[in-house]
Amino acid sequence: MKAVIRSWFRHFDRRETEREIEEQVCLHLELLTQALLQQNMSAKDAKAAALKQFGDVEQIKAQCVTISNRNHPALRALKAFLILVFVVGVLFRVLGTELHVTRVGDISIIVAVLGRLFLYVRSMNPSSFLSNPDRTPLRLNDEPIRAYDQRMRTPVERLIFDK
Amino acid sequence: MANARTDLMQGTLELLILKTLAGEPMHGYGIAQRIHDAVDDLLKIEDGSLYPALYRMEERGWITSAWGVSENNRRAKFYKLSRAGRKQLDGERANWERVSQAITRILQTA
Repeated sequence: MKAVIRSWFRHFDRRETEREIEEQVCLHLELLTQALLQQNMSAKDAKAAALKQFGDVEQIKAQCVTISNRNHPALRALKAFLILVFVVGVLFRVLGTELHVTRVGDISIIVAVLGRLFLYVRSMNPSSFLSNPDRTPLRLNDEPIRAYDQRMRTPVERLIFDK
Repeated sequence: MANARTDLMQGTLELLILKTLAGEPMHGYGIAQRIHDAVDDLLKIEDGSLYPALYRMEERGWITSAWGVSENNRRAKFYKLSRAGRKQLDGERANWERVSQAITRILQTA
């Protein structure tokens, strides 16, 4: 029973989706780097070329997570349910004459609004809060590299500082 | 001669992916390589742009995915064309041929 509930909530877990995408991206970069190494590139150059060929890793991950989470049937059902709760709450509030009925209406409205707010905040990408001036892209071969890791390091910084 | 850099529209990339998966299920890197081999240097496609396209297509039901083992014994997500995807591919192919014929005709007129 716990496993069923856990698997259902996995669909709302943004981190699970991010982990899946991260795994795919890592494999892709690894295979691409191996292919470039076979072209007699150095390890450093092959990694940099692989990242360049792949594109902006963080942006791609963010897009995939957004797409993955936005239209899941369970999420749509939950959104529809919250709308229904909101409408019922408004009806109770407007049409109810007794205090306990209007209170139920108030509570329903608050629950619906908070629920939608929660879903909205969960869907947001933390990196979208960073302003552009916070990002100072380095250049490789006169082209800006736009891929940033969790610590906001560019690929070249990762190449230099990672062991 | 300067390299021609052609911007690829989103729908075109999805058509390329559908065609690539028509043969066999593949993971993202395999799809990217097959597309690069097919288009050679005619089109510049960033490998990463495949992944949002794959997620969109899965959302629409054109492809399905399952975790498997890659050629280097790593866990990989394999994508497979669904029945709806095959239907979409046939429709898109017919549409593409129609559009390209029309444009060719216009370009050939004086």
